[in-house]
Amino acid sequence: MKKTFTARRRAIVTALAAAIAAPAISFAQSADKPVRIGYTMSRTGPYAPGAQVSQEPNYVLWAQQVNAAGGLSVKGQKRKVELVAYDDRSEIETAVRTYEKLMGSDKVDLILPPWGSAMNFAIAPLANRYGYPFLAPTALSRKLIDMQLPYFFSLLQQPDKMMGALVDMLKANNVKTIAVVYMDDLFGIENMASLRLALRGTNIQIIESKSYPLGVKDLSPVLKSIKAMNPDAFIGITYPPDTILASTQSREIEFNPKFFYASVGTAFPLYKQRIGANAEGVLGMGSWNSKVTPEAKVYFDAHTSQMKKEPDRWASGHAWAGLEILQQSVDKVGLDRKALRDYIANNEFNTILGKIRFSRGENASVPGTVGQWQNGEFEVVWPQARATAKLVTAKPAWK
Amino acid sequence: MKKFLFAVLAVGAILACAPWALPDFWVSLLMTCMMYSALAVSWAMFSGATRYLSLATSALFGLGTYTTAMAMPYLPWPLLIFAGGLVATLFAFLAGAAVMHLRGTYFAVLTFGLGELVKHSITYTEKSVFGTVGRVLTEVPSNETLYWTMLILAMLAVVTYKLVANSRLGFAMRGIGADEQRAATLGVNPRKVKLIGFALSAWFAGAVGAAMAVRWTYIDPHSAFSPLIGFQTVLIAMIGGATTWRGPVIAAIVLSLLSDALRLNFPQAYLILLGVLLIVCVLFIPGGIASIQWRNLLGKRKEAA
Repeated sequence: MKKTFTARRRAIVTALAAAIAAPAISFAQSADKPVRIGYTMSRTGPYAPGAQVSQEPNYVLWAQQVNAAGGLSVKGQKRKVELVAYDDRSEIETAVRTYEKLMGSDKVDLILPPWGSAMNFAIAPLANRYGYPFLAPTALSRKLIDMQLPYFFSLLQQPDKMMGALVDMLKANNVKTIAVVYMDDLFGIENMASLRLALRGTNIQIIESKSYPLGVKDLSPVLKSIKAMNPDAFIGITYPPDTILASTQSREIEFNPKFFYASVGTAFPLYKQRIGANAEGVLGMGSWNSKVTPEAKVYFDAHTSQMKKEPDRWASGHAWAGLEILQQSVDKVGLDRKALRDYIANNEFNTILGKIRFSRGENASVPGTVGQWQNGEFEVVWPQARATAKLVTAKPAWK
Repeated sequence: MKKFLFAVLAVGAILACAPWALPDFWVSLLMTCMMYSALAVSWAMFSGATRYLSLATSALFGLGTYTTAMAMPYLPWPLLIFAGGLVATLFAFLAGAAVMHLRGTYFAVLTFGLGELVKHSITYTEKSVFGTVGRVLTEVPSNETLYWTMLILAMLAVVTYKLVANSRLGFAMRGIGADEQRAATLGVNPRKVKLIGFALSAWFAGAVGAAMAVRWTYIDPHSAFSPLIGFQTVLIAMIGGATTWRGPVIAAIVLSLLSDALRLNFPQAYLILLGVLLIVCVLFIPGGIASIQWRNLLGKRKEAA
């Protein structure tokens, strides 16, 4: 009787010991544990269209590629990547809560940024507090960079660079008068201010500048009044729906200035699908295509075949470059986040956009650019050093 | 009443320990529960009693948010929260004076329109006076401070609800809800009562907005005046039962938790569920979850078995 009791007890003790030891064993085998990378993305809500073009497909594609190649190299040791991804419903509060969960409770190894400036404003300080490197592909605001968060790195060119390049291009082509419409939010107002600053000291005149609210459904009254003034260039500081709206309505009223520039969304494949042959000659914010480097071509083809859609010719390239930078850094210094941050801040990286180096948290290597639709491709046309095609200086008439 | 106060304090004391005991995610989830509790209870305080459907919550919340965005560098934290509430109260007074004679759908639509009005006025002022839209908060209080603030606001909302319900004001508001004309003939000044009730409940929405603002770092009119916050508040109060304080609190907790659980697995399901719940409540339990007589229901079951 007593014997069986001790035997059972021994069995229990052994089981308990095994249970306690189990986590320790899995610790010892950490090389087999996946690298967990967390993020939230807008899969529903107003941010979803942009997020699902420029950002999330790249995260997914990257994880697929890394795992297909045997895993992410952590100081030379290969470990699989596991994406821990949630929908943030385009709500900032939800994103904040989820990143707190990812970094505070789940303790993921790395994080990737959410989509859009407003989201990045909320999450970047949080990432900084928890000490997670944060390589943002779609944060577009000088203010965010001026906060000087040590763990924050911005990949996209900021308004001053983009508007600087645009004004350089207009100047070189003897433009005298421009008309501007812009969104009355941070993006529109910061770009407008940068545009005014860049125009200072040139003899280009703004003959009209009008702002409009988010969700605008009709721009034709403004466009008609602008058409009557006959400016050399039209500049729209617009978001995807307004970019398409401004283009289709300009076509309807046959407003066809020599230079027709729109902003976010011009470089999306969607623009070509919606506008068709009329896209020819339209200028916009874009900074790469499959011709900029041989690696860009490889990436472009992989994206097209695996994600069943083309990447956009602006932020997608930057998102991919950010992932490359992260990958190279993890290979070098491992998953120690402080060391990662220092490595990213102080080194130069090879990416599909060319060499990238950060200066005070800002991408210091990619200059401001202007893109243009030519024969179904969004070509980089300015500055000339980065151009993939020659600028068409007079927009062909709308068809 | 003493017992009630003691119970609220006891629950508050337990909840106050959460930042030390729970992981960050749970703390922030609790914070969401408390935020919606405060919003829904204070909404029920006025709309539940008078049956005037107010959709102004997002406007009031947004005003609080903007108070923080503008006054953060100048005011200490407690004063800032109070000021956020005060701005909302003042706004509710002015707006209430203008629209309080309207009834039914007109009142609901107008209070919703107020949100849009404030949003576009702020956008316009920011653009033309300050040359920017969107403000950045750099120095923000710790998460614990925010958590405790939200806890105090939720407790305050519940206690105020109870105090108001037991007072002459609450009695008068319920009278208006039952039959406004009769209440008037019985010596209630409906206009005054409604105005005071509306302004009082507005304070909470403003204060909650002022506190939550620091979670966003960057504040612009489109995110501050999101209509979703207002709708969700109304739905929570209605599903829970707008004539009690328990109903909104229970619904706020259940729906906040459910919302997060569903979001992580089935992103679209939450809004669908909210809609279905609302329909079920309106059709079958117009008094909300709180009105169900659980004891009778369970008792009957037992008898049947």
